[in-house]
Amino acid sequence: MPERWSDYVAILMSALALGYLVYEIDRRRRKLHDIFDVLDADDAYITARLEDMVASGELQPYAGATLA
Amino acid sequence: MPRAPRGSGSPRRPRARAGTPRETVQSGSSATPPRVLDARPRKVTRLAVLPQPAALGECAATVPRFRIFIIDSGWNSSAHKVLQENFGLIRELQKEDPIYVLSKDQSIEFMRHHQERIGREPIIAVHDLAAMDKSGTTDFHGFRLHLGLLRTPQQALLALQNFTRFLSTHRQSVDLEAEIRTDLRREGLAGAIEIILHHEAREIGE
Repeated sequence: MPERWSDYVAILMSALALGYLVYEIDRRRRKLHDIFDVLDADDAYITARLEDMVASGELQPYAGATLA
Repeated sequence: MPRAPRGSGSPRRPRARAGTPRETVQSGSSATPPRVLDARPRKVTRLAVLPQPAALGECAATVPRFRIFIIDSGWNSSAHKVLQENFGLIRELQKEDPIYVLSKDQSIEFMRHHQERIGREPIIAVHDLAAMDKSGTTDFHGFRLHLGLLRTPQQALLALQNFTRFLSTHRQSVDLEAEIRTDLRREGLAGAIEIILHHEAREIGE
């Protein structure tokens, strides 16, 4: 057990620093996954819809050089 | 978000439309009237011309690996402008893979059905045809970029450049999923190191 109050402060500050680090890493990870991620079973419905649009001819490969 | 039941993935390739004649290998003269009596599978023997290794590489480079979809309902955002300004270049860099651009009306209709993604457009979804051939849409089958989440033109441009580079450098990838997950882990680790070293926030993802 720490004997001086300054030891308690040091432990508390270390715990806060570690907590912040974990929080920040997790926040960045979530943000990155929000922006860029893989398509998996969760996205199957959307993928199927897009593929159906291609299969039905509703969507054609874009031939233009610029977006309208 | 609705989940598709396992095994009920989307068609892996565009279905042949009804009435569309299929390509067949015909034996015999083209003047010979078609025989309908013998429906047994026949062994068609013909000389196979195997492509040379160099030609194989060329084939792999020109056969589409991805289908790229752009969904943009037209928010007046930095990401929208950056995409419009740079689309021509992306088109040139990704000539091998077809790009499907949903019209504004199609995009709005699409977002009406996927309201949780409103405000994240422009969305670029990339379907990996190789993965879809293997396991349909029940597992990994591509990746996507929510460009609309990036607030400044610089962030959007950087993300677009990274995304295009990723597409180009991973066209021949055998295990794309593993490579993407490794990259994402590496990004996470890089972020952690940056925090520890008190570097400035990364341009992307902030």
